[in-house]
Amino acid sequence: MQSDSARTGSPITASSLVGPAAVMTVIGLVLPVLLLLRYSLNLYDPRELMIETVSPANYVKFFTDIYYLDVFFTTVWVAMFCTLVCLIMGFPLAYVLARTQSRFKNVLIILVVMPLFVGNAVRAAGWMTLFGSQGFLSISLMDLGLASGPTELMFTTQAVIIGIIAVNLPFMVLTLQSVIEGIDRAMEEAAFSLGAAPMTMFRRVLWPMALPGIIAGTILTFILGMNAYATPVLLGGPEFKMMAPLVFGQFQLNNWPFGAAVAFILMTTTLSLTALAAFWMQKRVRLG
Amino acid sequence: MLARALDSRRLRRLALKAAAAVAMLYIVLPLGFVTWLSFYAQEIPSYPPRGYTLDWYVAIMGNERFIRGLLLSAQLGLISTAIGLAVAVPAAVAIAHFRFRGRETINNLLLLPLMVPGVVLGTAIYVFHVETEINTGLPILGSLGGLVWGHVLVTIPWIVRLVTASLAGFDRTLEEAAQNLGATPWTTFRRVTLPSILPGVVAGALFGFVSSFGNLEMTLFLVGPGRTTLPIAILQYLQWKVDPTIAAISVVQIVLVAVAMLVTDRFVKLSRAV
Repeated sequence: MQSDSARTGSPITASSLVGPAAVMTVIGLVLPVLLLLRYSLNLYDPRELMIETVSPANYVKFFTDIYYLDVFFTTVWVAMFCTLVCLIMGFPLAYVLARTQSRFKNVLIILVVMPLFVGNAVRAAGWMTLFGSQGFLSISLMDLGLASGPTELMFTTQAVIIGIIAVNLPFMVLTLQSVIEGIDRAMEEAAFSLGAAPMTMFRRVLWPMALPGIIAGTILTFILGMNAYATPVLLGGPEFKMMAPLVFGQFQLNNWPFGAAVAFILMTTTLSLTALAAFWMQKRVRLG
Repeated sequence: MLARALDSRRLRRLALKAAAAVAMLYIVLPLGFVTWLSFYAQEIPSYPPRGYTLDWYVAIMGNERFIRGLLLSAQLGLISTAIGLAVAVPAAVAIAHFRFRGRETINNLLLLPLMVPGVVLGTAIYVFHVETEINTGLPILGSLGGLVWGHVLVTIPWIVRLVTASLAGFDRTLEEAAQNLGATPWTTFRRVTLPSILPGVVAGALFGFVSSFGNLEMTLFLVGPGRTTLPIAILQYLQWKVDPTIAAISVVQIVLVAVAMLVTDRFVKLSRAV
C-alpha cells in the first residue's frame, strides 16, 4: 500500500515539481499564441496600424491572392521534396551509423550532430562560397570543361533546396539511427538465413520495424522545412519567398494582423499535414 | 557459387557505405567550405584563392559588433540554461516518476516550444510583450528579461526530453530502499536519483545551451535596439556580403560547438542522447 501511494505520488508534490515549468510555458508560449490568433482577426490600417474587430479578412486575402498562394504552395512543395530526399539519403547513413563497430563511431556521430548547432546562417555561408559565379563549383565546372560560362546557383530555387536538405538531413539521420539501433540484428540475420533477398529483408523487416523512427524523422524534417527562414533568405535572395520570411516581412511592414494570420496559416498547415502523414503511414503499416 | 554470393554481398556493403559517405559529406560540406574561405588571402570569395592568411582571425578580434554578439549569446545561453535546468529537471523527474492526472498533457506542453515554428513563437511573444507593456506599463518590449524568458522556453524541451529518457530504465525500488533505510527525500534525491539522471542533465544542459546560443528566428523578434546576438549579427552580415571575415567568425562558432560536443561526449554518449 505504501509503495503504491509513493508511485502515484501526492498531487501536491507532483504539481509543485511540474508547476514552475508549466506556468512559464503557459505564460510564455500558450497565451502569446492565443493573442496572436486574436490579432489575426483584426484589421490593418495604414494610419492607425491596427483596428480591433473580428473579421476573417486576412485569411480571405491570403487564400484569394495569387501571390500569397504561390508562396504557400512553394513552401509546401519545397518542404515535401526536401523531406523525401532526406529520407532517401538519410537511411543508408543512419543504418551504417547504427550498425558500425568502428572505434570512431562517436566522432562520426559528432560530425552529424555538430552542424545542427552551428546555426543555419553559418551553413548558408558555406553554400554561398560554393555557389557564387566566381565560387568553387562554377570555376571547377569551367575548368573541367563541363560549362562554358559561369554557373550562377545563388538566388535560385535549387540553391534553397540544396541548403534546406543539408540543414534537415542530420535530424533525419539521428532519428532513424536511434530507432535502427533498437532493432535486434538477429532479426535481419534470420530473414537472410531464411533466404530473403536484401531488398525483401529491407521491405519486410527493417522498414516496418523502423517505421516509428521513419514517421518521427519525416515529421520533424517536414516541420523544419516548412519553417525554414535563414536558408531561403540567404540562398534564395529577395525574389524567392517562403512562408517564414513572409511572416517576418509583414511584421517589418507593421502589418501585424496579416502577419499574424500568415503565421497561423503556417502553423496549422504544418501541424495538420503532419497529423495526416502520421495517420496515413500508421494505417499503411496495419494493412501491410 | 559461394564465392560469387560473397562477392555480391561485399559489393552491396560497399554500395551501402558509399551512399552513407555521400550523405555524410553532404552534411559536413558547408562547414568545410566556410572554414576554407576563412583562410583566403583576398577579400572577394573567388576561387581559386590567391594565397592563404590568418589575418581575418586577427581582424575579428577588433570587430565590436561580433564580439558583443558573441558575449550576449554566451550570457543568454548560460542564464537561460541555468533557469531551464532549475524548472525543467524537477518537472522531468515528476513526469517520469509519478502517475498524476494530466501528466501526458504537461509533457506535451513542455515539449511545445520545439514544435511551434520559431517564427510563430517569435511573433507571438512579440505581440504579447507589446500588449503587456501597453496594459501594465512594464518596459518588457525588447528587454533582456523578455529575451531570457523566450530562450528559457527553448531550453526546456531538450532538458525534459533527455532527463525523462535517462529515467526510463530507472528502478524506483532503489529510492524506496533508501527511504526505508531512513534517508530524507532530499538525501534520496541527491544520493540515489541525481547520479542516475546526471548524464541526462548534462546532455540536456548542453543541448539547451546550444539551441539557445544558435536560436535565430524567435530571437529576431525579441532583440531590443543595440542588442544583437551572434546568429543575428551573422545573418545580417551575410545579407550584405560573404567574405573571409564572416567565415572566420563562423569558424570560431564551429570550434566552440565542437569543443562543447566533445566535452559532453565524455559524460554521456551522444549517440544515445539525441
